Amino acid sequence: MKRSSLILLSMLVVFTMFLAACGKTEEKNTATEQPKTESEKPKEEAPKKDVSLRVFSTFGGTDAAREAFQAAIDEFVSKNPNVKVENDTMSANDDGFRTKVNTDMTSGNEPDVLFYFVGADAQGFVDAGKVVPLNEILDADPEWKAGFSPAALENTRQKDGNIYAVPLTGFYEGLFVNKKIFADNNLELPTDWDKLKKAVETLSKKGIIPLAAPFDQSHYVIEHFILSAAGAKGHNSGLLDGIDPNWEKGYAAMKELYDLGAFPKDAATIDLSMASNYYGEGKAAMILEGSWAMGNWKDPNVIDNTTVLPFPVMPGGAGTGKDIIGGFGSGFYLPKSTYDNADKKDAAIALLKHLTSPAVIEKIALANGGTPAAAGVEIKGKTQTATDGFAMAASASSVNNPIDSMVAPETFSTLRAGVQAVVTGKKSPADVLKEAKEIEDANKK
Amino acid sequence: MIQWLDPKLHPDTPSSSEAASSFKFGRIGAARENKTQVVIKMKGDRKYIWIFLFPMAAFLTLFLYYPFFKSLYFSFYRTKGFFDKKFIGWDNYERLVSDKLLGAATLHTLEIMLYVLIFQVGIALVLAVMVDNITKLKGFFRSVFFFPVVISGTAISLLFVLFYNYNFGLLNNVLAGLGLEKVLWLSETNALKAIAVPTVWHYVGFYFVLFVTAMSKIPEDYYDAAKIEGISGFKKMVKLTIPLILSDIKVVITLAITGTLKVFDFVWVISRAQNGTEVLGTYMYKKAMVDQNFGYGSTVAIYMVVLGVVIALLANRLLKSEEITY
Repeated sequence: MKRSSLILLSMLVVFTMFLAACGKTEEKNTATEQPKTESEKPKEEAPKKDVSLRVFSTFGGTDAAREAFQAAIDEFVSKNPNVKVENDTMSANDDGFRTKVNTDMTSGNEPDVLFYFVGADAQGFVDAGKVVPLNEILDADPEWKAGFSPAALENTRQKDGNIYAVPLTGFYEGLFVNKKIFADNNLELPTDWDKLKKAVETLSKKGIIPLAAPFDQSHYVIEHFILSAAGAKGHNSGLLDGIDPNWEKGYAAMKELYDLGAFPKDAATIDLSMASNYYGEGKAAMILEGSWAMGNWKDPNVIDNTTVLPFPVMPGGAGTGKDIIGGFGSGFYLPKSTYDNADKKDAAIALLKHLTSPAVIEKIALANGGTPAAAGVEIKGKTQTATDGFAMAASASSVNNPIDSMVAPETFSTLRAGVQAVVTGKKSPADVLKEAKEIEDANKK
Repeated sequence: MIQWLDPKLHPDTPSSSEAASSFKFGRIGAARENKTQVVIKMKGDRKYIWIFLFPMAAFLTLFLYYPFFKSLYFSFYRTKGFFDKKFIGWDNYERLVSDKLLGAATLHTLEIMLYVLIFQVGIALVLAVMVDNITKLKGFFRSVFFFPVVISGTAISLLFVLFYNYNFGLLNNVLAGLGLEKVLWLSETNALKAIAVPTVWHYVGFYFVLFVTAMSKIPEDYYDAAKIEGISGFKKMVKLTIPLILSDIKVVITLAITGTLKVFDFVWVISRAQNGTEVLGTYMYKKAMVDQNFGYGSTVAIYMVVLGVVIALLANRLLKSEEITY
């Protein structure tokens, strides 16, 4: 009895702690609210009112630019002592943060400054008028506007022609290759399809994972195989106006490589971070990833021997072999709720300007290996790999936004689910694409 | 009612059965008296009853019934993200009927339910009987067996990811150390069973505590009588302990069934619901959150509620037995 009452007591304690934790967040909330009430009573001494801003971004968790972003915020706070900034982050590794942003934006819990994707992901809250167009604010400060490279700013333009998000860094995706593993096995780098096939065959026989890729989170696999098969135009046309026959080739090529042993044995159940782990630990020779992934590969044997190539064109594919996936897929938004709040508006705009100043952009780009969105910032990599990546992006014949920004989320899930079904021979590429097309049509009704 | 109390079987022990029955009637008589007192008293306190019930009722309405009816409402809409929805009548339900993935998810959920019923409830019962029979360290074992319940499912799942992983995993490292071939633990045939292991282990302690508590409520007289009869060990468990806690077993089975319908974290973290491990919880999450098709996601949720109620009712019907009072 005594023991069980002890257990009960400790559970009570834990529960009380939980409640206490809840209480604290509430306190925080009231702190955020405070400036509102203060604003009604004008203060005599303080020249500027105390403002508290919540900035939501994905620069948290294992993000390579986490520290650089926090430093940029600290710098702003030290220059503007009247502004408190709450750096609210969530990892971008899973889809959870999309849900978080969307629920916040619909439920009246908008952050004061939001860092999020542009394009299809943002279309919902853009159409609902939850964020303000930044065109006029940009035009009002020519110096700030001129700081951006025009291409970067253009890339964040929404369908309606307005710019709602100011970009920070861009990204590119590609085939990251461990040169050492290739050299050790007397293989040439996979610059064309035959060399890729040869490498896959040889490496899988030796027990090295040729291409670290998961089936479920197969975003990059789908993008690159389809880009290689259908070319930039076919890739970017999505599924709404019919199925590009070349897409089938892309899926068929996945099966071809799978049959040669390209993917890890447990590709069906691992996630992206585990695949990245395999590459980062030197267990895999290649990986399809984005520029942001480099920061996670700490082993010098891997990162110092890594280069990045465009995914080669498959036989009969419409790609040029120099097409890449990339762009400035995200930026800082100014929610309408902040814009309408007289106290927060100026502080938030000042913070936006600070976070997208060339100096900050340069630091973040250096940290996460992304393309800086600022004009005149020298594109240099922290590592040779990053420099190789910039060179690849610079010589690309086309830079394309990823497929998931062209189709509905449910359609993309169907395409993802199709990868395992096709490579294991359960479904034909045509069946998978037909299924995805049906979902896409139902969604556009 | 209880076999060993039948005087025909044990004609030579009138004293023990008499004692038991007089004890029984004594208790019931007292309880009846109490009840009438309580009823009289409660009439004047109705106001307070409502006052104390209100916060919970409000809480349940806000966080349980409102979302439930909202889901019902959404199940008639086709949603596009968070901002756009369109009434489509019964379309989502038509899709539900022909959805092969949902059928597979249902079967996988039922398979896990089977493992849970056999192993989770079974192991909990065996452990409870064993702990009930020892005199020393009872509290220690209770705490130890209960401990996994306190750990979050996600943390346990992450642990098992590291056990099962093909390349770095603990299990395969042990196999490699023994000079054996590596095993793909999460293969298409194995994955669901591999996930059932932590699922079962996680909650054994909870049911174990329920069983131990139920057993501690059995009056000592019964065991004393059994001792005089010379009944002990396995026979005591089957003929005495288990029949006496049958109503608790029923509760545990209902809890286990409804709990299995909610399995999510283990599947999501360990296998990402791939390789034939999609269960209803993950399927609903995928449809609603990943695909942002809240309409169909809500329809799946409604289906889960209906399925859960039906299975729980069915289980209750199958386990119907007389209530035992002591």
